[in-house]
Amino acid sequence: MSERTIKETAAERAKAAKNAAKAAASKLRHADYKKAAESVREKARTFDIKKAARDFWYGKPHEERRLGDLYIGNTGLYKHREWRGFKDTMYYFHMIWLYNYVHMVTDILSGDDPLSFFAGTMRYRWMGQTYLTVMHWFDRGLEGLRGPALAASAWHYRGMTNETIRQFMRMFAADKKLHGGKENKYWKNTIAHDETVSGNIFYPWRDVMDDVALQMIPYFVTCHVNNHTVLNYIDAMQSIGLPADPCPMCQAEAGIFVLDDYPDYSPVMVTSNEACDGSVATSVIQDWFLNRPLFAMPQPMRFDDPLVQKHCQEEIEECWKFVEEQTGHPFNWEEYKKHAESFNKLTDFEHEKWDVAANTPYYPINGVAQALYRIYYSQDGDRPIWHFVDAHVRKIMNKTVKNKIVTFPKTRHRAIAWSCAPLYYSNWCTWAYNCWGINTIINMDSLMFDQYLRTDTYEHALEDLATFNELAPMRSMAVGGHEHIFRLWEFMEKFNCDFVVMYDQLQCKGMQGIHGMFEDEFRKRNIHAVWVPHALPDKRTVSRKEIRKIISDYMYTVMHEEPLDPSLVDFDDSESW
Amino acid sequence: MLKVLFKIIKVLAVVWVVLFTVFFFDLDGKFLYYVWEPMMIKRFDNMKRPDLTGTPYERKEPV
Repeated sequence: MSERTIKETAAERAKAAKNAAKAAASKLRHADYKKAAESVREKARTFDIKKAARDFWYGKPHEERRLGDLYIGNTGLYKHREWRGFKDTMYYFHMIWLYNYVHMVTDILSGDDPLSFFAGTMRYRWMGQTYLTVMHWFDRGLEGLRGPALAASAWHYRGMTNETIRQFMRMFAADKKLHGGKENKYWKNTIAHDETVSGNIFYPWRDVMDDVALQMIPYFVTCHVNNHTVLNYIDAMQSIGLPADPCPMCQAEAGIFVLDDYPDYSPVMVTSNEACDGSVATSVIQDWFLNRPLFAMPQPMRFDDPLVQKHCQEEIEECWKFVEEQTGHPFNWEEYKKHAESFNKLTDFEHEKWDVAANTPYYPINGVAQALYRIYYSQDGDRPIWHFVDAHVRKIMNKTVKNKIVTFPKTRHRAIAWSCAPLYYSNWCTWAYNCWGINTIINMDSLMFDQYLRTDTYEHALEDLATFNELAPMRSMAVGGHEHIFRLWEFMEKFNCDFVVMYDQLQCKGMQGIHGMFEDEFRKRNIHAVWVPHALPDKRTVSRKEIRKIISDYMYTVMHEEPLDPSLVDFDDSESW
Repeated sequence: MLKVLFKIIKVLAVVWVVLFTVFFFDLDGKFLYYVWEPMMIKRFDNMKRPDLTGTPYERKEPV
């Protein structure tokens, strides 16, 4: 979005609010009160008190909810939040909305330098404009959910919110730009790294330093929470001469630097090729603007080759040497072991979750919570919040399995989502379930980096860490060779799915190359698959409305099905977060 | 003592009603969308930023 358009949008919003107020006043002045009274009398005559009481207590049945009627115009705001029945509405109000607002404050207060929150909010667009709208991110992802599915999915969102706050508070505490150029103790003891360089790599220093991914908070998470912000960074990059067709993720990450909207929180940078080789240029630009010691640790393309594995191990060791030399802190094997073993516990629970998801209808986590939580914690590495969340989710999942609670009772199709998802519409699967009964059981991002980290010997640890690094996001099953991308068929069977939602990132040259082969395979195997085109963070290329239309068209014309909630088939959310 | 307790309960009830109203009618979202975000957009659009493209790009010492 250009600067001019953004200003226009702000003015338009203020104008729209003013017009709405004027229209409401005019409506009140010119209302036909006799007709209104007659309508009220008619409603009173046909009012079914038993049904109203049932709807109040249990919430409306799925087919009567009309969730699309709750939206205000194209804003994505609600006339009112959904009434989910007494128990679930109270749960949402107390345990999700209120709980998270309160804990956001306590998370900020427990940061390294709480006052820097205000300075950061006023300094960085990705903070001031984006993250305060976080509760709407919850709303969009959790629409229509009930009971254990609502609770378990919300815990996943809570984990991500807490970890996001922890990371930006560390950035702000260390940020030279917020501290008059001073290199304070936090700055000296924080390692900046690319968001696709795994947090696992830095376990040996977790007791003396912190590691924070550079783009995770200013770019990646913002696209999910409020996708207005990222457009500035994409446009900034193009404004200095980049053509519009490279991956918009790389464009946005580089654009943050063009606009000087990155916090300066570390003396060093460990970067990568972000698994996608188009992103190498991003690292070059970051190297230019950061202008400090930088270690490049690219993830290899053909990672099955044992020689490549050996090379990858050597690179990790070189990276460790680089950190030791630059920071003066020695490698601590015991610290690595402690966190690797703790991380393995998260992997253990992930396998338990997959078992329930694959073999029962009792899995209490919806598609978007599963996808975002898994990729977030796997990249971030071992942190206390993930264990806290998993303990809560385990309790809920044990209950649903023990009591045989069908968590998504309107499931018509068990879907697997493959390839890289649209960041500006990660909650499409919530919509797809509410509207069509398409329940996204699992997705590609969840299945990557499925790797235990052995700690019995240094050699084993290095070997596993190298494999983990090679299975980075977008590498193992997107641009890591067709044999890995085609593992779709294996996982479809494993998770008992009958439907594929195939993401089509229009600006990913790697995945575009294999599009035709997928088409052939879908036909040959007689699999129902919908192609969902998108441009990762950029909602202007394929809008959310267009994505919904593509899915709905398929459901009408190929599946010959009718929507569960017709109000969700066609609505405008072009200006929503 | 009982009077104080009732007073506390009354205050808590009022707070609860206010918060529930904000929650149910999405007043937090409306405030952020119509007031806060346009204000922030204006602020960040007008913010003076250094032109980082002037940063010299030189060959670094190998590390």
